[in-house]
Amino acid sequence: MKKYWWLGLIFIGALILPLVVGKFWVHVAIEILILGLFAVSFNMIFGYMGQLSFGHAAYYGVGAYATGMLMVKASVPLPICLVASMIAAGICALIFGYFCVRLTGIYFAILTLAFGQLMYYIIFQWYSFTGGDDGLQGIIPPDLLFSANAYYYFTLCIVAAALIVMWYISRSPFGYTMRAIRGNADRTRFIGINVRKYMLINFVVAAMFAGLAGGLLGPFNRSIAPDLCNWHQSGVPVFMTVIGGPLGFFGPMIGSVIYTFLMAFVTGFTEYWPLVIGLVIIFVVLFMPGGVLGLAEERVKIFRFKHMAGRVDESIHTENP
Amino acid sequence: MDISLIFAQFLSGLSRGMMLFLIASGLSLIFGVMNILNFAHASLWLVGAYLCYTFWCLMQDYGFGMWVSIPLAALSLAAIGWVIEVVLIRRVYNRELPEQLLLTYGMILVISDLTKLIWGVEDKLITRPPLVAGPVFFFGMPFDSYFIFVILVGFAVAVGLWLFLKKTRYGHIVRAAVFSREMVSALGIPIPRIYTGVFVLGIFIAGLAGAVQAPIGSITLGMDMAVVIQAFCVVVIGGFGSLLGTFVGSIIVGEVYAFSILFWPQGALVLIFIVTAFILIVRPWGLFGTPMRA
Amino acid sequence: MKKLKLVVIVFSFFLLVGLGTLDSVVAAEPYHLGVDLAITGTGAMYCKDGVDAIKLAVEEINAQGGFLGNHPIKLFIRDTHTKPDVAVRGARDLILRDKVRCVLGTYSSACAVAIKPVCQEYKVLHIPAVSNSENITKINFSPYTYQVVPNSYMQAKAVVLGVAGLAKKKGWKNYVTIASDYEWGRSTQQNTVKLLKQFAPELKLKKEFWPPLGETQYTSYITAIMGQKPDFVIGSVASKDNVAWMKQAKAYGFFEKIPYPGSLISVSELIIQAKTLTRGLVGLCRAPFFVHMDIPMMANFVKNFKAKYNRYPSDWAVMEYDAVYALKQGIEKAGSIDTEKVRVALKGATIDTCRGRLFFRCIDNMLSCSSYIGVVADDPKYPFPIYHDVVEVKGPDSWRPEAEIVAARAAKK
Repeated sequence: MKKYWWLGLIFIGALILPLVVGKFWVHVAIEILILGLFAVSFNMIFGYMGQLSFGHAAYYGVGAYATGMLMVKASVPLPICLVASMIAAGICALIFGYFCVRLTGIYFAILTLAFGQLMYYIIFQWYSFTGGDDGLQGIIPPDLLFSANAYYYFTLCIVAAALIVMWYISRSPFGYTMRAIRGNADRTRFIGINVRKYMLINFVVAAMFAGLAGGLLGPFNRSIAPDLCNWHQSGVPVFMTVIGGPLGFFGPMIGSVIYTFLMAFVTGFTEYWPLVIGLVIIFVVLFMPGGVLGLAEERVKIFRFKHMAGRVDESIHTENP
Repeated sequence: MDISLIFAQFLSGLSRGMMLFLIASGLSLIFGVMNILNFAHASLWLVGAYLCYTFWCLMQDYGFGMWVSIPLAALSLAAIGWVIEVVLIRRVYNRELPEQLLLTYGMILVISDLTKLIWGVEDKLITRPPLVAGPVFFFGMPFDSYFIFVILVGFAVAVGLWLFLKKTRYGHIVRAAVFSREMVSALGIPIPRIYTGVFVLGIFIAGLAGAVQAPIGSITLGMDMAVVIQAFCVVVIGGFGSLLGTFVGSIIVGEVYAFSILFWPQGALVLIFIVTAFILIVRPWGLFGTPMRA
Repeated sequence: MKKLKLVVIVFSFFLLVGLGTLDSVVAAEPYHLGVDLAITGTGAMYCKDGVDAIKLAVEEINAQGGFLGNHPIKLFIRDTHTKPDVAVRGARDLILRDKVRCVLGTYSSACAVAIKPVCQEYKVLHIPAVSNSENITKINFSPYTYQVVPNSYMQAKAVVLGVAGLAKKKGWKNYVTIASDYEWGRSTQQNTVKLLKQFAPELKLKKEFWPPLGETQYTSYITAIMGQKPDFVIGSVASKDNVAWMKQAKAYGFFEKIPYPGSLISVSELIIQAKTLTRGLVGLCRAPFFVHMDIPMMANFVKNFKAKYNRYPSDWAVMEYDAVYALKQGIEKAGSIDTEKVRVALKGATIDTCRGRLFFRCIDNMLSCSSYIGVVADDPKYPFPIYHDVVEVKGPDSWRPEAEIVAARAAKK
């Protein structure tokens, strides 16, 4: 616990943020938190389990629509909606994941992509229920959370709590089983672990947190649209994780800070944001494969995390056993 | 529901399938040989269409303008493909799958915006020469004459690829490389040169597909996104790396689409996704692909 | 110690960012005008024309010192990528960072209805001038949103009035619809079918076709429709896909065999498809400049637009230009740039537009603009076909009756 005092410092920094920056940047900060949660949940599948899911946005979108529809059509209070979002996303993940975990590598990626698109088309076409491509408007947070600062603190608490839960999961025996599966699935199977069951559980839990992120998005934007399930949206957490570094727990969050910040900044003076982020991605892939964290780990000793996601073997090369 | 309607739908599904085949064959070839899923394939296809337009503009006053633009566009795109392979793709051959996917995904964004910068946001229209501007009649039902051309090109590419893979030495090497890279390399054949060649060939076909698409309707931004998912579905259903699979897969997708319009108009795409997901679950390597390679 | 150093560096970075972005004192002088349009994505082509028209309008007004002669307009443009969440982010950017007082927009309709509540929440004016879904004004009414485009209901009714007359004359019995499967296509098709039932109850709808938005291959639809052998076809194909649809249908000889009255063929498409468009088609559009050349404001606009951009303005250009001048007149009526005063001044106001002297209806802030139906024909004055025999269906004759709007809003609750 003592090692993580700097985390506490960052948290305090996050707490005083709205007092220091303008309203616009508070909105950016909320977006960083929501997308960061989305990306960290994605990393549960990518960094820890070793599989690339290109359809994670399906659960993000399902979560967003669960909260959105409950709030608009049934006026359910927000906290209950968020729980419902997690459950809805979890159920979808259970159904889709059941099939996905039977595959690995490229086939896993494509099947998750296909299911993501399927979800997108279902929401898009079922317009009598979801509003279709018009999206859903009128998602207004309760008066208590209406102002940007209030919603920011609310989001901060929820995201922090979610991160703590995911952190504990990653440090638990379950989390280490995931790393083992990533390292060598066959060997893990040989020691008697039901690999598919564990992968499915991990998949569902990751999806639930993605659903939570989606649920937070609706009231923030006051509206949602089927695009949230699109494969382009699925690409966002992948970018963030790669930029930040998939091998550390906070990698995706760092990636979210960089990505969202960059986007807010770049869209201020050019419409060619896709060009910029495309070049950044290519650059990171070619020259910084471990992301920011990977780079930091190489250069700065203090970042030698021994609990790196997936790096089970390489821990024997670090100085702190 | 009379027979002429069914025949008309069948033909229209065939033409859609042929278009998809043209796009998907390059994708399948590249993945089959190099194990790289080129997300940016459809974006390059769109560049091929724009290139065709540019060439056509230069030759507008000549009747053969469109016919010459098509191979010119394909060749130019192949050259661009060569550059991309040397500069970008080559660096990720030995990398993990996620990095390869991300590289090609980043390429989509860059290529799309560059296309917008170069050609602008207006729709582009090519006027077809009179030979293919009007309908021909099959059993009294009119049919767009240009689609005869599309179907012919599709078959030509299919046959050409088949001959290439089955009858030429280079083709034999490519097929061997699909099976085992190490063996081919051990025989002293430079794998990198094979890869470059295959990638360029794949992009050439994509350019041809784009150029053939250009005169059909208009060339608009965002066309690639609509098509790339369908191309993926084709390759998944047919099987990566299998020419026959891609051909059959495109016909299936084309016909499913054409006939679902009659029964479930809004569900055409959902249906295709369900089929794709089904194949992935039951037989992930597709109808004609080789079982999962490591 | 190294760790602490790093943390301090990171902290200072954020502190600097924070300080650098503190709310600066907003100068009372310039008027910040925001534009949230689809510069990329499916709407790019039409929005580009709109943006050009806005720039022209801003230039003209600034040449006289800006609004009220002493508030020069500063333009901020954001790209929605035709995606609602991006549109919302863009609108918020414009409002919070660039401090705009009014947002002009937007394409698509989904984007317009998404940014409407954002503008309402921050008390910023919102003038959509491209998307025309009725949902922008019918339900979830926002007092800050003023619509200057004939909405989907108005356009559908205009078409129906024309088609019903034609059907009677030609003895048509059944029809087929083809509509792009997205909000505008659906709402237009539904309104058209409902109104047709009202005005021509003997007509039977045989089948509906729904190509997805962005469809590039219409062959299967064309053959299926021709197989149905309908008396006529009503099309609500999205402007952008319309080009592909009409070109391919023409290659099948579709328009010679089957009447296709009243589909949206905007001026942009008249220009783009100049060489290939079938002459003699009965089409619909929203703001054709050539119909109102007798109005000085329009003639002036066309002249300046042509001089600056070397092309003729499309519907979208006309309507965005009207939007800027509507804002100007609202400010002049209020005598101030204060948003609340302008909003009140615009309510029920009568303004001069390129399309004539029109007014905003109080119940939904809908401009009383017309829909135009005509026959596609060549004209020696222009290098592209225009509409002849134009029937101008005025706003008040085609908009939804107030009682129905009240009922729709009550039902929504």
